[in-house]
Amino acid sequence: MSDTPRRLRIKFEMPSDPRYLPVVRGAIGPLAAAIGWEESECRAITLAVDEALANVIRHAYHKRPDGLIELECLESADGLEIKLLDTGDAPEMSKICAREIGCDQPGGLGTHIIKEVMDSVSYEQSPDGNRFVARKLLRKTP
Amino acid sequence: MKISVRDVGDAKVVEVEGDVDLGTSPALRRTLFESLPRAAKVALNLKAIRYIDSSGIATLIEVLKDSQRLKKEFVLFGLSPGVEEVFRLTHVIRIFQVFQTEQEALGTA
Repeated sequence: MSDTPRRLRIKFEMPSDPRYLPVVRGAIGPLAAAIGWEESECRAITLAVDEALANVIRHAYHKRPDGLIELECLESADGLEIKLLDTGDAPEMSKICAREIGCDQPGGLGTHIIKEVMDSVSYEQSPDGNRFVARKLLRKTP
Repeated sequence: MKISVRDVGDAKVVEVEGDVDLGTSPALRRTLFESLPRAAKVALNLKAIRYIDSSGIATLIEVLKDSQRLKKEFVLFGLSPGVEEVFRLTHVIRIFQVFQTEQEALGTA
């Protein structure tokens, strides 16, 4: 037996079709709860993952339902890591979180939600496609 | 997601049940945009919404702006803690008129 504790890793390969979003949401909440977050944080983490997937569907694949999205959720020693990979159009970095907070414009809310909920967020282009990585730390109360 | 619309005086009350996300928000948008020109006020009941994402919130902002253009009222009521949380995260709650109950939303309390 290894001294390193085994941790949960969930991997989804989903078409870029919004009808699969509830399936992923159904898994993220219980995963966050198992790691140790309370109910409202589980809802927020689920929302952040859903928003990241919706952004890929909307902006990378322009709502075409036949694109591929790979989602990996990894329990880590200090929380949760979410990784997304797609082969659609690369995100326009200048448009991410470009919306003024609290304004009455309907667009650009998703990236703000992700940034607000997660502790770190990164976007990068790799030979495999567009990579999105977000981490959330579990802050244990003493 | 299920949507229903009923008339209460010169207002329309729109009830939504289920998840409002990227896949379902276009149907809500369609219903709200169709209701606005046909009533003095549209009140949206959010009590039975289990989940709403930013596309749902964006829909509500679009409808609010159209209501202002048409000089109609668009109000929300019955926010669950989950829906309130999404409004808090998006910082847009202040632009809406939000009430606890249908009677308050319609001004009949």
